[in-house]
Amino acid sequence: MTAERINISGAKVTPTTTSDLDLVECVLVSRVFGHGPSAVPAVREVSVTVRPGMRVALSGPSGSGKSTLLHLMAGLVTPTSGAVRWPGLGGTPQGRPGVVGVVFQGPSLIPALNVIENVALSLLLGGVTQDEAAQRATSALDRLRIGELGRKLPEELSGGQAQRVAAARVLAGRPRLILADEPTGQLDHETGARVVSVLLDAADELDAALVVSTHDPEVARRLPRRWRMSDGRLTAGPTQENASTGTDRK
Amino acid sequence: MSKVAETRGTGPGPVTAAAIEARSLYRFFRAGEEETLALRGVSVSVMPGEFVAVVGPSGSGKSTLLACLAGLDDPEGGRVLVEGQRMSHQPEPVRARLRARRIGVLSQSGNLFDHLTVEANLAVAQGLGGRSSRESRTALLGSVGLAERAGALPSRLSGGEAARAGLAVALANEPAVVLADEPTGELDSGTEATVLELLRAAAGRGVAVLVASHSPAVASAADRVMRLVDGQVTG
Amino acid sequence: MITTWIGGLLRRRAGRLVATALGVAIAVALLASLGAFLAASKGSMTARTVRGVAVDWQVQVQPGADPAAVLGTVRAAPRIRVAVPVGYAQVAGLTATGDGTTETTGPGVVLGLPTGYRADFPGEIRTLTGTDHGVLLAQQTAANLHAKPGDLVQIARAGLAPVQVQVQVDGVVDLPQANSLFQKVGAPPSSQPASPPDNVVLLPGSQWHVLFDPLAAARPDLVSTQIHVARTRALPADPGAAYTSVNAAAHNLEARNAGSAVVGDNLGAALDAARSDAAYAQVLFLFLGLPGAVLAGLLAGAVTAAGAVRRRQEQALLRTRGATSRQLLGLAAVEAGLVGVTGAMLGLGVATLVGRLAFGSVSFGTSAATAVAWIAAAALVGLVIAAASVLLPAYHDLHTATVATARQTVGRRRGPWWARYGVDVILIAGGAVVVWAASGNGYQLVLAPEGVASISVSYWAFAGPALLWVGAGLLAWRLAELLLSRGRRLVGWGLRPLAGELSGTAAAMLARRRRPLARSIVLLALALAFAASTATFNATYRAQAEVDAQLTNGADVTVAEPPGTTVGPAAAAPIAAVPGVRAVAPIQHRFAYIGPDLQDLYGVRPATITNATSLQDSYFQGGSARALMDQLAAHPESILVSAETVHDYQLHPGDLLNLRLQDSRTGQLTTVPFHYIGIVNEFPTAPKDSFFVANASYIAQQTGNNAIGAFLVDTGGQNTAAVAHRIQTLVGTSATVTDIAHTRSTIGSSLTAVDLAGLTRVELAFALVLAAAAGGLVLVLGLTERRRTFAITTALGATGKQLRGLVAAETATLAIGGVVVGAAIGWALSEVLVAVLTGVFDPPPDALTVPWPYMAAVTVTVIAALSIATVTAVLLARRSPISILREL
Repeated sequence: MTAERINISGAKVTPTTTSDLDLVECVLVSRVFGHGPSAVPAVREVSVTVRPGMRVALSGPSGSGKSTLLHLMAGLVTPTSGAVRWPGLGGTPQGRPGVVGVVFQGPSLIPALNVIENVALSLLLGGVTQDEAAQRATSALDRLRIGELGRKLPEELSGGQAQRVAAARVLAGRPRLILADEPTGQLDHETGARVVSVLLDAADELDAALVVSTHDPEVARRLPRRWRMSDGRLTAGPTQENASTGTDRK
Repeated sequence: MSKVAETRGTGPGPVTAAAIEARSLYRFFRAGEEETLALRGVSVSVMPGEFVAVVGPSGSGKSTLLACLAGLDDPEGGRVLVEGQRMSHQPEPVRARLRARRIGVLSQSGNLFDHLTVEANLAVAQGLGGRSSRESRTALLGSVGLAERAGALPSRLSGGEAARAGLAVALANEPAVVLADEPTGELDSGTEATVLELLRAAAGRGVAVLVASHSPAVASAADRVMRLVDGQVTG
Repeated sequence: MITTWIGGLLRRRAGRLVATALGVAIAVALLASLGAFLAASKGSMTARTVRGVAVDWQVQVQPGADPAAVLGTVRAAPRIRVAVPVGYAQVAGLTATGDGTTETTGPGVVLGLPTGYRADFPGEIRTLTGTDHGVLLAQQTAANLHAKPGDLVQIARAGLAPVQVQVQVDGVVDLPQANSLFQKVGAPPSSQPASPPDNVVLLPGSQWHVLFDPLAAARPDLVSTQIHVARTRALPADPGAAYTSVNAAAHNLEARNAGSAVVGDNLGAALDAARSDAAYAQVLFLFLGLPGAVLAGLLAGAVTAAGAVRRRQEQALLRTRGATSRQLLGLAAVEAGLVGVTGAMLGLGVATLVGRLAFGSVSFGTSAATAVAWIAAAALVGLVIAAASVLLPAYHDLHTATVATARQTVGRRRGPWWARYGVDVILIAGGAVVVWAASGNGYQLVLAPEGVASISVSYWAFAGPALLWVGAGLLAWRLAELLLSRGRRLVGWGLRPLAGELSGTAAAMLARRRRPLARSIVLLALALAFAASTATFNATYRAQAEVDAQLTNGADVTVAEPPGTTVGPAAAAPIAAVPGVRAVAPIQHRFAYIGPDLQDLYGVRPATITNATSLQDSYFQGGSARALMDQLAAHPESILVSAETVHDYQLHPGDLLNLRLQDSRTGQLTTVPFHYIGIVNEFPTAPKDSFFVANASYIAQQTGNNAIGAFLVDTGGQNTAAVAHRIQTLVGTSATVTDIAHTRSTIGSSLTAVDLAGLTRVELAFALVLAAAAGGLVLVLGLTERRRTFAITTALGATGKQLRGLVAAETATLAIGGVVVGAAIGWALSEVLVAVLTGVFDPPPDALTVPWPYMAAVTVTVIAALSIATVTAVLLARRSPISILREL
C-alpha cells in the first residue's frame, strides 16, 4: 500500500513500500509542564520524522527539551498541542511493550530483580510466556557479550554494565525504533563509547532506527545525522534533510 | 614557580605553604577475600590559588584520593595535611572541624539536602562551620548566579543550577580548599564551562582547587594536570 | 542551624515525623488508658465493696465486760457514724402450730435489734412478706415451721424454767449476709461453722431484753452482745490503702478496749478481697495491654526503618559538610525529642478522652501521686520509643555505615543475626518452660497472706507469654523469609491467579525484598495476634463468669425447697408457666450413708438437666459432662462420686456401691445399689464437701419418694431478678428463691468483681487501630523503591491490569501471611494466657470462647487497609512515570 505524504516543509515524499512507512512522526508537537506562571514549555512546536534505518544524534544543552522529545516519540508522554503518529508501528506504542525500545537516562533497572529478570520483564509485559522470555533475555545478553552478568543484581553492576543491560533489554524486545536518552551521561568516555557501540550494533542487528540524545560531541560524531535542540525548539533537524532518503546503515 | 619546586621536595624543609597536601598515601580495601590497593604512594599538593585536575579512568582511585584529602577516609599509610595541620589519623572531631571550616566538597550529585531550600542548605553549611551570615549567603548566591533561586527546593533546580548551588555550598564557609569529584559529569558543555569559570574565579581568590574528572574541559581549565592510573600517579 | 534543619524536616518530611509520632502516641495512649482503667476500677471496687457490706464492724463484747462501756468507747472512736448494741441469744428450739400440725425445729438464735436498726443497716435484712418491723422470722425458719405472718411461735429457752414464751410473727425476711451476721467474732476463718443457723428470729430490742435478760443471768454462755458499727464512708480510693486504714482502725479499737471487745471486721475482710481483685486487675492489664504498647513501638520503629536509606544519605552529607558525631547525634536527638514529646502529648490527650468515655473518669491514678506517676511512666515510654526509633539507628549508622554502603538496599544478605543462633526457638522453649513451671504452682499469681498489709504479685509468670510473644514473632520472621526465598516457586505458582505471566517476576521481587517483607508480615501478624488473643481472652472470661455464677446459684434462678418437703416434679409446671422462664429442671436432694459417712445425694434427670443449667467438663473426671450424663441416662443405677470418696473407698469404675437411703414408704433406711462410673468435683447447688450425683428416676423408684430438692430455672440470663420475684410470689414462703444477679453481687470471688467491660472495649479498639495501622503501614514501607519499580514498569509499557497484578501479588502475600501467622500466634497465645491466668477463672474453662464477629471485623479492617494502600500505590504509579524517574 503506498500513499503520498507531505512532510512539514511542504516537500512530497513518496514511500514505496509499507516497510518504508515512517516509524514516528511528530507534527508541531509541544509539551508544557505545569500551569500558570510557573509553566515550563519543554518542547515548542517541533516537527520531526524518523524513518526506518535512520541513525540520529539529538544534541543540545541540558534543559533544551531532548528528553521530553524522546518521551513524546516513545508515547510515554502526550503532547499538549500538535500530534504524534506512528504509522509504521501500527499505532501508539503505549501499552505495547517492545514496539519502541527506550534506554533511559539514569539507572532504569528494577532493583529487586537480577539482570536476566530485568531483561525478561519487558517481554513478559508484552505477553510473552515465561520460558520464551527467559530464553530471549539470555540470548540478548549473550549477543551483547554480557551473558556472565545474568544473575547479578543491579546494585552490583557498574554504570557501564547497567547501561549495557538496559540495551540488552531493548534488544530482547526486537523493536523497530530505539530511543536512547543520554545513555552515556554518567559514564566516562571509554565506557560510554562501548555503550554507544552496543547500541549501534543492536540497531544494526534489528534493522531498527536509532535516536540518541547526548550532549557529548564524541558520541554525536558517531551518528550520521545530527539534530539540534535549544530552548525547546529544533534548531537543526530533518527540515534540512528532506532531500535525503534511504538508510543510514553502514 | 619556585614555590612549586619547593613543595615537590620529599624531605622536611621549610614549612610548606600548600593549602592541602598528601604525602605517600596508601589505602586498600578488603571485600571478603579480595584486597584492592586503591592508592599506592600517592602524593599531591595544591597551593593556594592553584587549580589542579586529577584525571584517570574510572576505578583509578580518584574518589578514594579525594575522600582521604577531605578526611572522610583514613589512609593506611602516608599523611594528609591541610594548611600544615594534620588531617589523617586525627580524632574525628578534629577532622570534622577542619572539614567544616577549611574544606569545601563538591560531588557529582547529592550536594544538597533535598528537604531544605538552597539558602537553608547554605545556612546549615555555615552553621556547621560555626558562623551564620545572611549577607554572605546572599552574596554567594549572587556570585554563582542563583540569587533568584534562593528559596527553591533542590528538586526544582535544573542540572546546571544544582551544580552551581552545590558549588555555593562548598564555598559557604570561605574554605581554603575546594575538592570536587566529577562536578561536571552530568552537565552539558555550556553549563560545564560556567562551573569551571566559577571554580577558576574561586582559585583566583586564593582558594586551592582540586578537581577529579575525566572531562577534557576540566583538564584544559586547570593550571596543572595530575594523572592517576591504578592508584599511582603517572604524570 | 538546628532550627533551620528541623524546620526543613517539618516542611518536607512531615509524613515520616507524623507517622513516628503516631506510633508513639498509640503506645502512650494505650498505657495511659490502662492507667485510667486501673484508677477507675480500683475506685469503683472500693466503692462497691463498701456498699456491699451491710455492717462494717461487729464488735463482740467479751464475757464479763460491760456492754455499755464498750458502746461508749466505740462511739467515741474516730470515723464512727453509727454504733448500736445487738443482742444474741441461743435458744433450744422453736415451735409453731398451724393448720392442725405442729412443727418443731432444732436449736436456733434470737437477735434483739434496737429501734432504727433497719434504717442504719439497710443491707442486713430484706423483707419478703409481712411488715418491716416487729417479730421477724428468717425465711428458712418460716419454711421449717410452716409459719406465716400472724402465726404464733414458741421459743424454748434452755436453762430456764420451762416457761414458754410466744411471739406473734409480723414478717418473714431474708438475711443476705447471714454468714457475717452469725460469724464467730475473733475466731480464725478456718474454724467458722459451715453455715449460719437455719432457725433465726429477730425481735425488737425491748422485747428481746424482756425475754432474754433472765437467760443472761442464768446462762451467760448463751447470751451475748455485739455492737454493730457503721463507719463514715470516707476511704482512700485504692482498696489496698482502704484495707490498711480500716484494719488499723479495728486494731486500734481493740487496743483501746483492752480486751473487752473483739472486732469482727467485715469491712476489712471485704476490702482484703478487693485488694486481691485490684491486683488481679493489674495482672490482667499487663498481660493483655502491654503487648499492644510494644507493638505500637515496633510500628514506630518500622516507620523509621522505612526512611533508613535517606537518613544515612543525610548523615553522610552532613559529615561531608563537617558535622561531628556529636552534632549528628544532636540533630537526631532533637528530632527524637520533637517526635517523642508530640506523640506523648497526643497520646495523653487521647487517653484522657478514652478515660472519660470508657471509664467515666479522667484521673490516671487513685491518688494524685499515682496519677502523676502513671502519666510520667507513660510519657517516658513514649520518649523511649522515640529515642529507640530515631536516635538508635542514627547512633548505629555512625559507627557502621560508610557512604558507599548507604546506597545498598537489596541484596544477598545472610540471615539475621538471631536466626543463626536459633534465638527464636530458644525463646519459645524458654517461654514454654516458664509456663509449665508456673503451672506447677497452680498458676497462683496473686499471693495475699492472711492479715498481711501488702500483697505480692508473681510477675515472674509474665515471662512465659512475653517470651512466647517474642519467640513466635522471630520464628514467624524466619519462616516468612524462608518461604519467600526457598519457596519462591511455590509463591510464584500461588500468585498465578493474580499476576498471570508476571507471577515469576513478582515472586522474584518478593524474594529479593524478603527482609522488609518478612518484617511487615510479622508486624501485621503480631497486631492480629494481639487482637485475637485479647478478644478471645475477654470472651472466655465473660463466659466463665457466667458459668461461675451459675455454679454457685445453680442456674439463673433457683427455687430451693425446704428439707423434708414432699413437693414433687409436678410443681415444675406452674413454675415453667411464669413469664420469662425458658426451662425448668428439678433436682432431688437427699442424704445417703456410705459406710458411716453421711453425704448429700443429688438426683438429676440426665437428659434434660442441661436445659436449665450448664455442666462443664471440668466438673467431672472420667469423662466429659455429656458422656457421663448419657451414661446416667442409659444405666440408671450409675452414680458419680467425689474424688475423696473414691480415694477413701478405693473405687474403680464399674464397682458396686451400696448406699443407705431413707425409704419414704417404710421410714427406714434401705440399701440401694449403684455402680460407680466417674468423679464429680462440682455440681450446681452442691456444697464443697463430698456428694453423690445419680439418676433421679432410679432414686425415686428405689426410695418410693420423688420429692424435689430444688428447681433450676433458666431465664436466658434476662431479668433474673424480676422472674425470681414472680416465682417467689407463686411459691410463697414455702421455698427459697435465689437469682443469679443477686448471687453475683455477693460472692466475693475475683472473677466477677473485676469489671472488664470498659477495659475490653478500649483494648479491642486499640487492637483494631493497631491492626489497621499495621496493614496500611506495611505497604508504605519500601515505598520509594516500589514507586521506582512501578515507574520503570510503567515506562516499559505495563498496562494497568499488569501493574495491579504486581501490586496485588505483594498485598496478597502480606495479607495471607499476616492473617495465617496472626491466627496461629493468636490462638497459641490465647491458650497460654488462659492457662496462666487460670487463677482468675474458677472453674477453669473447657475451651476458648472465640468472638468470631470481632475477629471478622479485624480481618476485614486489615484487608481494607491493605487494599486502600494498594489502590493508592497503583494510582500513584500510574501518574507520569517520567517525572518520577527524573526525581529518583
